[in-house]
Amino acid sequence: MAEPAAKTAFAEEALTHLDTLYRGALRLTRDPDQAQDLVQEAYLRALRYQHSYQPGTNMKAWLFAIMRNLFWDRFKGSHKEDVSLDDVGDFVLFEKLRDEGAKPEADVLDKIAATEVVAAVDKLPPLHREVVLLVDVEGFSYKDAAETLGVPIGTVMSRLHRARQQLQKSLYDYAVESGIVHSGGMEQVPQP
Amino acid sequence: MRCEECAGKLDRFVDRELTNTEALEVQLHLEGCPECMEHYEFQEHLKLVVKNSCDCDTAPKAFREKLRQILR
Ligand SMILES: [Zn+2]
Ligand SMILES: [Zn+2]
Repeated sequence: MAEPAAKTAFAEEALTHLDTLYRGALRLTRDPDQAQDLVQEAYLRALRYQHSYQPGTNMKAWLFAIMRNLFWDRFKGSHKEDVSLDDVGDFVLFEKLRDEGAKPEADVLDKIAATEVVAAVDKLPPLHREVVLLVDVEGFSYKDAAETLGVPIGTVMSRLHRARQQLQKSLYDYAVESGIVHSGGMEQVPQP
Repeated sequence: MRCEECAGKLDRFVDRELTNTEALEVQLHLEGCPECMEHYEFQEHLKLVVKNSCDCDTAPKAFREKLRQILR
C-alpha cells in the first residue's frame, strides 16, 4: 500500500489530466453523466493499480487507456464488433468544395459551428472516434496512440485517415443542408 | 517528389510524424505545387477546427472537486 503522501501526490498528478479524460469520456459516451461515471471509475481503478504505472512514462496515455478500456468493457461488451466505417471513397470535402467553386475552401470550415464539428466527430464509430480524440484533440503521437489503444501504428493511421474522410463527408452534408455551400455550386458556366 | 507521393504523406506531415528529411521533401514539394499546398492547408485547418471544437469541453468544477475528495 502506498504511503498516504505518495498516494495524494499520485492522485494530484493524475488529476492534472482530468480534462483530457473527461473530454475523451464525453465523446465516447456522448453523455455528460455517463462520462463522469466513467472518469470516476477510471480514477479509482488507476489509484488501485498505481503500482503498475511506471514513473516517468506517459501518465496521460496510461490513464486514457484505463478509461477507454473501461468504456469498451462497460458499454460495448468485451467483444468489439467493428463498427467500421463505410468506405466513403475519395470523397473529400475539399474536392467537393473546389468543384463547387467555394474559395478558398478552408474558409468554409470557419463557417461551421463548433457544435456541428463535435456532432460530426460523435457520428464516427467509436473505434475511429477515439483515434481522432487522441491524435487531433489531445495531440498524441501515433506511437502513443497505438500503445494507448493496443493496436499497431498502421491501424492508427488507417483509422485516422478513414475518420477524416468521414468527417469531411459529414461536414459537407451539414454545409449543404445549412446553406453554407450550395449543392451544385456556382451558376453553371456554359461550356464553350 | 510527385503529387501522389506528397498526398500519401500528407496525414503524417500534418501530424508531424515524418522524419526531418521526409518533412523537408514534402515542404519543398508544397512550395512548388499550389495544388498540394491547398490540400495541405485544408487538412491542417480541419485538424485545428476539430481540436478547437472538442477542446471547449472541460471537466465541470464540481466534478473535479468531487474527484479530489474521493481520491484523497
Ligand atoms: Zn479557421
Ligand atoms: Zn503536388
